[in-house]
Amino acid sequence: MKLEGVDVKAVSKTFGGKAGAFERLLGRTPRGLRAVRDVSFSISRGEVLGLVGESGCGKSTLARVIGGLLEPTGGDIAFRGVKPRLQMVFQDPFSSLNGRWRVDDIIAEPIRTHRLRPKGEVAGRVAELLEQVGLSPADGVKYPQAFSGGQRQRISIARALAGEPDFLILDEPTSALDVSVQAQILNLLRDLQSRLGLTSLFITHNLSVVRLMADRVGVMYLGELVELASADDIFTNPKHPYTRLLIDAAPDLDPIDRTLHPIPGELPDPSRPPSGCSFRTRCPYAQPLCAETPPPLRWEAAREVRCHFDLTPKSLSVPA
Amino acid sequence: MMEQPLLSVRHLSIGLSRQGTQLPVLNDVSFDVAPGEVLGVVGESGAGKSVAGAAIIDLLVPPLRRTAGEIALRGDRLDLMSPRQMHRVRGKRVGFIFQDPMTSLNPVLSIGKQLKDTMRTHLRLGSSELHGRALDWVTRVGLPNPERILKAAPHELSGGQRQRIVIALALCAEPEIVIADEPTTALDVSVQAQMLDLMRLLHKETGTAMVLITHDLGVVAKMADRVAVFYAGRLIEIASTRALFQSPRHPYTAGLIGATPAPDGQGGMQVVAIPGAMPGVDALPPGCAFHPRCPRAQADCRTVVPPLVVLGTGEAACLHPLPERTAA
Ligand SMILES: Nc1ncnc2c1ncn2[C@@H]1O[C@H](COP(=O)(O)OP(=O)(O)OP(=O)(O)O)[C@@H](O)[C@H]1O
Ligand SMILES: Nc1ncnc2c1ncn2[C@@H]1O[C@H](COP(=O)(O)OP(=O)(O)OP(=O)(O)O)[C@@H](O)[C@H]1O
Ligand code: SF4
Ligand SMILES: [Mg+2]
Ligand SMILES: [Mg+2]
Repeated sequence: MKLEGVDVKAVSKTFGGKAGAFERLLGRTPRGLRAVRDVSFSISRGEVLGLVGESGCGKSTLARVIGGLLEPTGGDIAFRGVKPRLQMVFQDPFSSLNGRWRVDDIIAEPIRTHRLRPKGEVAGRVAELLEQVGLSPADGVKYPQAFSGGQRQRISIARALAGEPDFLILDEPTSALDVSVQAQILNLLRDLQSRLGLTSLFITHNLSVVRLMADRVGVMYLGELVELASADDIFTNPKHPYTRLLIDAAPDLDPIDRTLHPIPGELPDPSRPPSGCSFRTRCPYAQPLCAETPPPLRWEAAREVRCHFDLTPKSLSVPA
Repeated sequence: MMEQPLLSVRHLSIGLSRQGTQLPVLNDVSFDVAPGEVLGVVGESGAGKSVAGAAIIDLLVPPLRRTAGEIALRGDRLDLMSPRQMHRVRGKRVGFIFQDPMTSLNPVLSIGKQLKDTMRTHLRLGSSELHGRALDWVTRVGLPNPERILKAAPHELSGGQRQRIVIALALCAEPEIVIADEPTTALDVSVQAQMLDLMRLLHKETGTAMVLITHDLGVVAKMADRVAVFYAGRLIEIASTRALFQSPRHPYTAGLIGATPAPDGQGGMQVVAIPGAMPGVDALPPGCAFHPRCPRAQADCRTVVPPLVVLGTGEAACLHPLPERTAA
């Protein structure tokens, strides 16, 4: 049996909000922080789903809920087919590896825990994984401190692959790396992806990176999924104003057209989201309706958009 | 080339003392900044961008030390000044903006007090005038409700708001040049674009020159007049922004541009990795420091340190530079 897909169903995660003894005494309920609000999507087998959004929009929280590290406050995660072997790769290659363990022991750990190989074959498998991520089998005897950030991220990836995952969650795997090293890791991941056909969730705040890596892309804002479509559609024909503004906000490498396209305003306090549409306080297209009614998620062909209006994306630009 | 440089850095070298030996962290770096010019400084982590910036304003602390070089601001030799004289230059003639706003802000003083103190120290202004100017700066950096902001403490502001105040603090004493070290790196793309827009607007209004240190090529593409590329403690290419992106001459510059994920014009997305990693200061290879990773390296690259030489409209330090690519 194989993993057929992952269904994220109406998942919510609220931090805090439960009254402690002191608050109960005062008859108060503290305001919870709704880090993830009613998010649903599916990832099919072999697919890379990308998640983008600004810092604090709930990407990591959602990843940890899907990865089983956090209990959701609402909704659930269903795995079609089998309960998958799941591995995660995190942003920080410095804190995510145990500095007291040798690299070969770090990589062997998931093999031993899940008894994936007979004892006599573990060392050979570790050597093979080290080569697969572009390190040498001789590196196994060293400790993580002996490696650069990019090399450590290779070790994290080798460890994740050692668990023979059917499902891989990558949370900002290259955000701490220099572009030249990032390019190496992205190419490595793409290569592994196509050879192993991994089902994965790829989280980043870098739109160019997600475009390179993902088949479909979900855009999050203040805990909500505001748009979900194929990577091509997201980038060539975004339907949600936030998606459009986010794409334009990242400076490209064109030194001739030097216009900058900032998104006006700032991210609201996530514990006090605006009424109606979460994005309305920064949206150049907001109407009175947007403050009154939260827009429902609309389906359009293979795309989902959370906006009241049908905006022609070409005409969308920030008013000067 | 340039008439009268505002800032002139000549043969700057910086050493790192470790167990009695000096490791070269920056090696014989020279560049000029013209009045009103924005010079972008790029390169990967550890290339020496920040130590170069810190050396200009004499903020190097042991184990780092300037081992050679001359630094002149409108002909005034900063490298010969006493710490007291330098103290007066910092803030007044040279402003600075760092990545973490909290290194520039005093956490216990109100925003208003910090702005006024800075202007009182460097500009001769009376109290009433100071208040008006402080209000004006808060408004200019795009913050709503300036009276409230002046009374606020740094922790009461968001990260983006704090960085706006840091920009105001750097500019309020009307410096001749600002050193900005990764001013937008900690910010989200949306806020980053706001901050760059603001810096550009203020740059137009005040005419202050800027050294903009960043590892983000997109930022220099939009902001810089010229770009200096650092690799392993050396300046390896310097050219106008347009020339640098259109026709990089040093293989490392070309590699850096190719490794940055960006739309390729046909709506696709590509990255080409540079193999290997930049060597640390304690493991510099002989010859050109880039040779172990360089696709154009020849035998001489392993022994000869390439000097920075004029190439077309810019300069590059490479024995086998890329041919000039002319715009189609
Ligand atoms: N353990 C926690 N307790 C309380 N609040 C939390 C906790 N973890 C996250 N949060 C809050 O939940 C919100 C979402 O955080 P999350 O880390 O998921 O965002 P993110 O999209 O991953 O951001 P980044 O891009 O910065 O990693 C934030 O407002 C954050 O402060
Ligand atoms: N206080 C210090 N002690 C020891 N070494 C240092 C210190 N500061 C910098 N270095 C070393 O000097 C070299 C240049 O560092 P620098 O901070 O200038 O790099 P950078 O180009 O600014 O990199 P980044 O993009 O990471 O900011 C690096 O090898 C670094 O390890
Ligand atoms: S000098 Fe040689 S090794 Fe160095 S960049 Fe030029 S071609 Fe490459
Ligand atoms: Mg996160
Ligand atoms: Mg630096």
